Amino acid sequence: MENSQFIVSLTLILITFGIYIGIAIYNKARQTSDFYVASRGVPPVFNGMAIGADWMSAASFIGMAGTVMLLGYDGLAYIMGWTGGYLLLTFLLAPQLRKYGRYTVPEFIGDRYNSHTARVIAAICTIIISFTYSVGQLSGSGVVIGRLLEVDARIGTLIGVVLIAFYAAFGGMKGITWTQVAQYIILITAYLIPVIFMSLQITNNPLPWLSYGQVVSELGEIDRQLGLSEYFAPFENGSRWQFMALMFTLMAGTAGLPHVIVRFYTVSTMKAARWSGAWALLFIGLLYLSAPAYAAFSRFILMTNVVGQPIDDLPAWTETWLNTNLLQIADTNNDGILQWNEIMISNDIVVMATPEIANLGVFVIGLMAAGAMAAALSTAGGLMIAISSSFAHDIYYRVLRPNATDTNRLAVGRITIVAATVLAGIIALDPPGAITQIVAWAFALASGTFFPALLLGVWWRRANGPGVIAGMLVGLTVTLAYIFAVRFGGFSIAGIIDTGAGIFGAASAIITIVVVSLMTKTPSQEVQDEVKDLRYPEQMTYKNGDVWMK
Amino acid sequence: MKKIDKSVADAYYREKNKYILLFLSIWFVVSFGVVLFADSLQFEVPILGFPFHYFMGAQGSILTFIILLFINAKVSDRIDQKYGIDESANEQISYGKTVDH
Repeated sequence: MENSQFIVSLTLILITFGIYIGIAIYNKARQTSDFYVASRGVPPVFNGMAIGADWMSAASFIGMAGTVMLLGYDGLAYIMGWTGGYLLLTFLLAPQLRKYGRYTVPEFIGDRYNSHTARVIAAICTIIISFTYSVGQLSGSGVVIGRLLEVDARIGTLIGVVLIAFYAAFGGMKGITWTQVAQYIILITAYLIPVIFMSLQITNNPLPWLSYGQVVSELGEIDRQLGLSEYFAPFENGSRWQFMALMFTLMAGTAGLPHVIVRFYTVSTMKAARWSGAWALLFIGLLYLSAPAYAAFSRFILMTNVVGQPIDDLPAWTETWLNTNLLQIADTNNDGILQWNEIMISNDIVVMATPEIANLGVFVIGLMAAGAMAAALSTAGGLMIAISSSFAHDIYYRVLRPNATDTNRLAVGRITIVAATVLAGIIALDPPGAITQIVAWAFALASGTFFPALLLGVWWRRANGPGVIAGMLVGLTVTLAYIFAVRFGGFSIAGIIDTGAGIFGAASAIITIVVVSLMTKTPSQEVQDEVKDLRYPEQMTYKNGDVWMK
Repeated sequence: MKKIDKSVADAYYREKNKYILLFLSIWFVVSFGVVLFADSLQFEVPILGFPFHYFMGAQGSILTFIILLFINAKVSDRIDQKYGIDESANEQISYGKTVDH
């Protein structure tokens, strides 16, 4: 039995990897613009899928449903925050940045604010944010490969490193785009099949989205009987202000994440950017609408099939997870019966363990593993492109070696990817925190640095170089200081913990940019005209106070 | 190239922004607004069986977000059309305009 599971999982993973690598080779990058932005010709629907795969990381796929299951209503801040940010992005930033027509976010900041210092700070921020984020992805892929191939998680991580380094360096953005389309299809299939089967098992309705509301209400009833707070009761695991601060941080972070923004550069026009945003959220929404259903069904099965059972007579699946230490059971009151508060379950195993809990068979379990790998690898691939372009393009080419050749820059880009992947892999062998925690820090940093710089860069002509330099530095400092003060100093404002730090970072950065810009020189007329030009579609051009139509 | 009357250009900009403001207000109400009053919004949603605040967090807000993005794409296309913007011309211009450092 155990043996057939291994063979099925391995086969599914190998087949899907074969597909990704095949696509990467087929679409090998031939020019710089291929490498960074896929020659700007990806159709919006497919770009939407690629954004979806790029976006949905190990944290979304493996961690989110578990978080909602354990936190109840308060976990929904992740669901709303990680979807609502697409509105800020699509309304306020993506089309305008697309019209500006640069390759990377640091390049926009450097050119718009006419400052090499701002460019370098932005490039360094991109590298810090993307690198932090990718450590989480690599350790996630290590856990999945390790568990499935029954090897040490460290060996799993190393396998992940080799794969990512290979196809990201080889295919560049063009290869990544089509690889990510395939990865989206695989990860969403893997996510939906178990949740649909669980819905059939529990409610006799194949549509989990329509059926799990009843289950949520029943969970509230079960909790009341057990003397626990209701599953859906608000603000039981943190204050109302923490909920809103976390939601804001994830939304603003989404709008400022360099590897997501760059995906909007791969389409042809502003119109295509708007449609990409809409398709992306539709595809992302399929998973995010299903995660709370996943959470409710898993909790329901645990509450009804596991809780209240004699401890000596637990289902077979508990054994394998008990061995990993991600599930712990202790009979604290020595009555031989398992109570809910005697189970310690890690939120990272809920999605992976549920197919076993619900007895869905070897194929579904193997498919889950392949889907989780797709989520971790696709996001890590996108992050590596962001790191590579920040270094090779914004620092190496724009600042250090302005006369480097095309071939030379492409080579530096590829070397950066390999080096960054290996370095992130080394840190991921012994990760500094849980996956979701690392990811939340990356979002807080993005909302404290890029979100204010981009928002004011597009919408306020008066914002200037000194303003944005001071703003990014203040935002970075405040965000980091708040995270450290909460974690090590026991400090907090209105119950807001480290994951909600972005709200303070963003607010202080916006105020700083406004104040410093107003105290220093007005940007040149040329820059102001360029900013005004972003208000109009490609066919209209703003020049010397007038709008021209081509 | 032909010059566009300043009032027409401004009207284009204002019309676009009017919708963005409207959509972002709805975005704010279905997310931050509902969370702010979550305790008093616990009445049950008919058929689905959820308490309302939970439904909004798990489904209602996300569905609203998706719908708003599609309406925005459609509305923006219509505004472009009204002002005589031609998408194939856009494609040509933006293709040539790529800043290749």
